[in-house]
Amino acid sequence: MASKYMLSTLNISISEAATPPICSSCHRLMEPGEHGVEFLCPNCGKAVIRRCKRCRQLGVPYVCPNCGFRGP
Amino acid sequence: MSEEEKPDTGEEKPISMLPGEKVVELLIPLEDYLTAGVHIGTHICTKFMEPFVYRVRSDGLYILDARKIDERVRVAAKFLARYEPSKIAVVSVRQYGFRPVTKMCEYVGCKPFTGRFIPGTFTNPSLAWYFEPDVVVVTDPRADAQAIKEAAEVGVPVVAFADTDNKTEFVDLVIPGNNKGRKSLALLYWLLTRQILRERGVIPPNGDLPEKPADFETKL
Ligand SMILES: [Zn+2]
Ligand SMILES: [Zn+2]
Repeated sequence: MASKYMLSTLNISISEAATPPICSSCHRLMEPGEHGVEFLCPNCGKAVIRRCKRCRQLGVPYVCPNCGFRGP
Repeated sequence: MSEEEKPDTGEEKPISMLPGEKVVELLIPLEDYLTAGVHIGTHICTKFMEPFVYRVRSDGLYILDARKIDERVRVAAKFLARYEPSKIAVVSVRQYGFRPVTKMCEYVGCKPFTGRFIPGTFTNPSLAWYFEPDVVVVTDPRADAQAIKEAAEVGVPVVAFADTDNKTEFVDLVIPGNNKGRKSLALLYWLLTRQILRERGVIPPNGDLPEKPADFETKL
């Protein structure tokens, strides 16, 4: 149940930790401590979505590379 | 009738259809959405909320698309069901959100923050009421601006119910809906609660809560 999801969340964040944090919307490198955010796609839970502070503030859309979900 | 309950006198059904589609499967009958006024926006629409609007009534009132409300409740439930319940903060400075938020937290096991949001709640570990959320749900991005600001500061995702007049700065997932009406907020939170429990398998995929949306309404 819930624990299964949490485990998969953990696995993905570990495997993704090595890749540079690129904003899913503007594709710029996110600065450490710039207060961006990362989360698994709300719809499919498979891809990691990253949003830089600027894109979050402006509400710039992001698209999930796995399922095509468009947020926010 | 109060301003908050905003009746929709339009006869056209505020729901978009896909080409060739005859029936849209919703979480509840369309009539139930309409009766609660969940689709009734305001006379203002921000650029953030344009994608969720069905039409503008002749008197200038923006009407939200019931399909998009329904879709986003489902997506938000999937999203929230992936988090440890005790790490979900649910916020409402707005009074009509008090009971809906409290009820959802009872069922889901998340942490309610109703009434004035004390600055530092998510950012200052020295406060006795300090809380470190993994995700934050807000009732109204304007009224709950402090909670959003702090969620942004600590880098956690924000899910927000948003009306047509809301700016959704720092919101990562919008659930469009009338976040001013008492009945509307009760229904939106009731639906979200039920759907989270369905996603988690606490209740079957078409299971129901033991209480009705009316039980989520803040009493006058
Ligand atoms: Zn960006
Ligand atoms: Zn996806």
